[in-house]
Amino acid sequence: MQKAVRIAAILLVVGFLFALVIYNTLNPPRPEAVVWDKGMTLGDVETAEHFFYDYTDIMCPYCDKFALAMDAHLEDFKKEYVEEKKVFYELRLTNLLASFHPEEESVTNNSTNSALTGYCASEQGKFWEWYGWVLEKLNNDYFSKGIGDSAGATQHIPILDRSYFTGVKDEIEGLDEAKLAACIEKDETAAKLKKNTEKASKVIQSGLPYYVFNSYVSPGFDGNWEVENDWKSAKLMFDAGIASKK
Amino acid sequence: MVFRKIGKKIYNLVTTAIDRAKFAVSSIWMLLKRPKYLASFLVSLFVFLYILSFFKDGSGNWLLLCSNLSFGAKLEVLGRVCVKILDNFTDLYGILIILMSILQALTIMLLIFTWRNREKDHAIDGASTGGIGAIFGFIALGCPTCGISILAPLLTAVAGTGAMAAAEGISKALIVLAFILLIYTVIKLGYVSFVTMSAKKYKEKKHAKSR
Repeated sequence: MQKAVRIAAILLVVGFLFALVIYNTLNPPRPEAVVWDKGMTLGDVETAEHFFYDYTDIMCPYCDKFALAMDAHLEDFKKEYVEEKKVFYELRLTNLLASFHPEEESVTNNSTNSALTGYCASEQGKFWEWYGWVLEKLNNDYFSKGIGDSAGATQHIPILDRSYFTGVKDEIEGLDEAKLAACIEKDETAAKLKKNTEKASKVIQSGLPYYVFNSYVSPGFDGNWEVENDWKSAKLMFDAGIASKK
Repeated sequence: MVFRKIGKKIYNLVTTAIDRAKFAVSSIWMLLKRPKYLASFLVSLFVFLYILSFFKDGSGNWLLLCSNLSFGAKLEVLGRVCVKILDNFTDLYGILIILMSILQALTIMLLIFTWRNREKDHAIDGASTGGIGAIFGFIALGCPTCGISILAPLLTAVAGTGAMAAAEGISKALIVLAFILLIYTVIKLGYVSFVTMSAKKYKEKKHAKSR
């Protein structure tokens, strides 16, 4: 009798947990269809048939696996999805990791500074170029060496100076380093980041990355840092987004 | 005086547990030498590795299977999980998945043995404790704040995104609990198997002598 009660209790708890997950995945909050930052978009919002939103944090390694694959195939993405399938893609940059790990100074510092620089690069119309540059830099300096490349990494990325993100020198044509450094100090930039991160936290149901591709919603991306493999995984998600209801 | 008594009790408990663990290891070794049980171990190991690797991305693969993707693309999703099994050797969560799968496969093998040898009460006990361990492990493995854990949507469903700051602590506690429960189950069932095997051998010897 006792065993039957125990088994019934286990089944009940498991059933409840799964019901919660299923309810959660079937009823995701819909993001507002308003452009957050035009510089972080691909495609034309007016003529688009599909709307893809990618919630990210530059210091999140799982977001960056996806982003590196995307960056390597940016032209393919533009041709196959933006032009042919009329996708509107917006990267919604946040510093959510700072609120997920408030006790880790390196995470809060790097997450905030990288996001601020992203918004500032967008102001100069050079977001995608800067994004590719910073991803490559983080990958070369840390991720490829096993530092901060996963939640289970034994070595973490140290506190990075703001200049780590703004120091583009003349590597990105048309991006003014001095303007970038001045912009990230502005209160307006911080306010914009705060506002967008708060909006994102209302949509996101789990950790980062968080993808809302039409009505296909998927959290997490666990590629293996191999660009081609990760691109295939990303394409499956894009295709699921295209096939989902708008 | 009281402390000495408690200390003695703890010492006795630990030495008994170590002895039982030794018996469990030898019974597992004996069972693995039998082709039928080795096969059941390997099949269960693959099944658990596949399931845990499938959910290593949190609900990502599941959502792809539930999406409107073509049948071919869904087969690709299932096929790519096999690659993920190999990827498990390269990161901490992957290694935890492998360890958990080994413990679960051992539990299944021992369950089959105890069940077949009419030790159903022990088998049911083992199944329920091991089952709880397996569920905890399944929920907690992965990184909740990276969206690759089943725990993340559960937490946000209950307490919103604000709960994510506590998510990793909860996840780690559940993983530890899962391993404790699974190791306990393997030792318990392994010990029962050892006793059963020894009794069987004794009976066989006695039977041979009486002939």
